[in-house]
Amino acid sequence: MRQLFIILSLIFAALGLVLSILPFGMIALTPITAAFIFGLIAFKISKKSNKSSKIIRGVFLVVIISLCISIYRSVFETNVIEEDNIETIKKEKQSDQESIDELESLEIEN
Amino acid sequence: MLRIFITLILFVTVTIQGQNNTIVAGEKLTFTASYNMSGLLTDLAQVNMETSTVKTSKNILLRLKCKAKTFTKWDNFFKINDLYESYVSPNSLKPYLYKREINEGNYYKFMKYTYNHKSQTVKSLKRKRRKDGTFWEENKTLNIGSKTLDLVTTLYHIRNLDIAKATIGSSDVFPVLLDNEEHLIRITLLGKETINTKIGKKECYKLAISMNADNILKGNNSNLLWLTADANKIPVYAKFKIAVGSGELRIQSATGLK
Repeated sequence: MRQLFIILSLIFAALGLVLSILPFGMIALTPITAAFIFGLIAFKISKKSNKSSKIIRGVFLVVIISLCISIYRSVFETNVIEEDNIETIKKEKQSDQESIDELESLEIEN
Repeated sequence: MLRIFITLILFVTVTIQGQNNTIVAGEKLTFTASYNMSGLLTDLAQVNMETSTVKTSKNILLRLKCKAKTFTKWDNFFKINDLYESYVSPNSLKPYLYKREINEGNYYKFMKYTYNHKSQTVKSLKRKRRKDGTFWEENKTLNIGSKTLDLVTTLYHIRNLDIAKATIGSSDVFPVLLDNEEHLIRITLLGKETINTKIGKKECYKLAISMNADNILKGNNSNLLWLTADANKIPVYAKFKIAVGSGELRIQSATGLK
């Protein structure tokens, strides 16, 4: 039972860390919370049976790191879009001119 | 005499309803599109809606331009750069030219509709990129109804509706040309709601949008649009449910309004 919770907490902690690094926003909080809960259960079982809790402490460390990354990213990272490059601007201008040329040949009721 | 009078009244009403009283050139609306991932909304892209005047040698038209771009943090995973534009009459919002350019990852699609309102036809051009990087084109002439619009023009037509006079529960149907097929979009007024937005607390008309094509918009009353209950009728908030998930559209800024 203890091993199962340790494995689950390890899996979710790893997933939380990966998601906190990737731009998935606060979605990383779900595996981080799961890792924390499973880690806590594993820790209590380990304490009861007087077994080593080194790995679980490692899981908690990963959980804290992931949580910090997630919070930092959600607070300090701003949503920006890529500026149009010269090629895109040129292409858009060409498209605009093509549109005007096309509109010239149409019968328009204003 | 009575018949002539009623016909005249109806004609005047239709003419007034067909007039653009809402949309002006120089308007710029910016939105943030969020996508629902495992119950958590994640900001995905910025959507810009702009209007501008376009002059030809004979006419003045209104250009309705919508641009959607993913935020840079997503660009390495999935880059979206879509452009939708429609050239319409500034008085009646009747469309004459529509362009749609989809750039999503490796997927590229270009659609162009050239309207001929006299013959009620649309010349359609579809251009797509093959996997090897080459392009193929398809030209078609489509028959349309007298009220058929494209997607961009429909949105502006909804804003131009005289919603203040509509009763709760009343609806309007718009035939929309999407991927060379005519679909019906139904707009139902659900009521008035006051919501908090980035541009302040706004009293809004809450509208439900549904479509006869089940593969595009999902659910009953799952696609909602909030338009400000003022002369501008700005879309400030939208909730959508599509085939690949659900999300929201929230206004960030609005400039150049009348």
